[in-house]
Amino acid sequence: MENTSQVPVTVLTGFLGAGKTTLLNRILTEQHGRKYAVIVNEFGEQGIDNDLVVDADEEVFEMNNGCICCTVRGDLIRILSGLMKRADKLDAIIVETTGLADPAPVAQTFFVDQDVADRTKLDAIVTVADAVHLSSQLVDHHEAEEQIAFADVILLNKVELVGDNDIVKVNDRIRKINPFAKIIKTTRCDAPLDEIVGLNAFSLDRVLDIEPDFLESEHDHEHDDDVTSLSFVSDTPLDMDKFQDWFGNLLRTKGQDILRSKGILNFKGEDERYVFQGVHMLMDASPMGPWPKGKDRSSRVVFIGRDLDNMNLKEGFENCKSA
Amino acid sequence: MNADLETLQKSNKTELERRGSIFNIGAPATEAVTIRDQIAVGFGDGTVRFFQSGSDPKTVKAHKGVVLSMTNYEDHVLTGGEDGRFLKISSDGNIDEIFNFGSKWVDCVASHKDTKVCSSGKTVYIWTKNKDKPQTLEHQSTVAGLAFDNKGKRLAVSRYGGVTVWKLNNNKWTASNFTWKGSHGTVTFSPDTKYIVTAMQENQIHGWRINDKADLAMRGYPSKIKSFTWVGDTPYLVTSGSSDAVCWPFDGKEGPMGRKPIVVANGGKELATFVKALNGEKAVFTGFTDGSVLLAEIDESKKPIMIRSSTGAEVSTIAISSDNSQILIGDMKGSILLSSLWADN
Repeated sequence: MENTSQVPVTVLTGFLGAGKTTLLNRILTEQHGRKYAVIVNEFGEQGIDNDLVVDADEEVFEMNNGCICCTVRGDLIRILSGLMKRADKLDAIIVETTGLADPAPVAQTFFVDQDVADRTKLDAIVTVADAVHLSSQLVDHHEAEEQIAFADVILLNKVELVGDNDIVKVNDRIRKINPFAKIIKTTRCDAPLDEIVGLNAFSLDRVLDIEPDFLESEHDHEHDDDVTSLSFVSDTPLDMDKFQDWFGNLLRTKGQDILRSKGILNFKGEDERYVFQGVHMLMDASPMGPWPKGKDRSSRVVFIGRDLDNMNLKEGFENCKSA
Repeated sequence: MNADLETLQKSNKTELERRGSIFNIGAPATEAVTIRDQIAVGFGDGTVRFFQSGSDPKTVKAHKGVVLSMTNYEDHVLTGGEDGRFLKISSDGNIDEIFNFGSKWVDCVASHKDTKVCSSGKTVYIWTKNKDKPQTLEHQSTVAGLAFDNKGKRLAVSRYGGVTVWKLNNNKWTASNFTWKGSHGTVTFSPDTKYIVTAMQENQIHGWRINDKADLAMRGYPSKIKSFTWVGDTPYLVTSGSSDAVCWPFDGKEGPMGRKPIVVANGGKELATFVKALNGEKAVFTGFTDGSVLLAEIDESKKPIMIRSSTGAEVSTIAISSDNSQILIGDMKGSILLSSLWADN
């Protein structure tokens, strides 16, 4: 449900040294005329002293809801509930995660906890990446891949320290993992704040922004546990029952390996576009108005995850086409 | 405004609203406790206000940011805030800072006689009389609830994965763990101290019989349980979280094991958000998501009484004065109703 009184929450990820603290300091000190609360983790890079800064430890809790990979950030539920009792309204909340954190529990918190979902909404996952070190971090750490995979916006920071050729290389490497994140090249995280906060990236209607040219993903990764993306397009309308069976079963059985999924669907006999977006096993879906006149009614789906080759995704999607 | 509608709205006021006073504070009411003939309320703007029948509330600017937790302590209240301060406050406005935790919140507070307790992060701090330095009790995850038993000999601390019950012997606290998967919030001892019960992150409450650690899982709620209260001699543990007040019987050897709860005070489409026992009676006040409050006996054949009509903001606290003469109801928009419970007052 869209609710204008929900406070948007931006999740900030990125490896140690990438520049998260630089960005947080900008958010807290720049004259932007807005009231932002910042939730920092106690193992952060350096202390930031401000009334609107809240200390948190990353407490990842398992939920007993039958969803085997469902973890949430318990401390976040507590802190967001507390912040919602403030007399003064916040314009946005920014959550910093530690360098080695998996972004999934933070994102899942907004799907699972009703109080959090009623009063706040996940706005975007912003990942600060170090242009110098990202390539080696992606080789050495699963967490770095996950942070890129989950991102809606990637600040490719410290570009001034890298040659043009290397920037193209690291940009391509990011694109292979995540075809739909917006990449902003920065020096000292100097991107305009309105390109970082208040994006509404998790709103279902933003799924409609998936551009067809993102959907040409190459496919030459080296290790089976690399995070990659796959996408499919169909001009033939899909059968709703078949799709629900396939997709429901897919998330149930492979949701641990599917980090994010998004799609726009054209169902046979339906006038409206259906959109969905998911984080691991959890997803949000809804009809999103009629198809624009004069435009192709094509279904488009994107998966980001590990081991996607072994999920028979193409075959599964093809089988959903209506007869 | 249309005159007819105005009349209609006036006549829709409840008896208690007609004879009571309404205050609009403008910040969510977070906690309320009774001290003698006054009711102290903590708010989201950091103030603690002392309400008394027949006069305007006295305002104490206590915290910067939200008053997160509050309990009574002798003639004072103890409060914990978003500003990391643990305070002792008197109704004439004296503030005594017991401790300052800086940027860490003071999430929970508790007291028994002259013992003052608070939690911040994973640690519980206990100040006993005549000692400046607190004793500390460490836990594996952030503390989400604190409760003393009625003798003050045991302190229940809820957290992720269960409850730690600390027992005081010869000035030393020893721990006993009660385990149940999941995240546990508010915690309470039954009045006979045979059971402990927590409200969980999932839509359920969980209890343990203390002597054998037998589990009691109480499920089936459509939303999280934010409030519970012990009612009557049986006693019943009455909870929010459903369209009714859900009343679990804790009599006999087995308590609610294998038994169904009684449900009273149906709110229709609205969910119960706060429950409070009427002292000495087998009756409970139930506040709902729309701000309305019903008084119901724990008897499914009796009809509840409307105490407060809808305000559009969820009921976040209810307190009754110690002599059972006054009721205070607060909601998330900061509207406070203070009224006498009895017509002849």
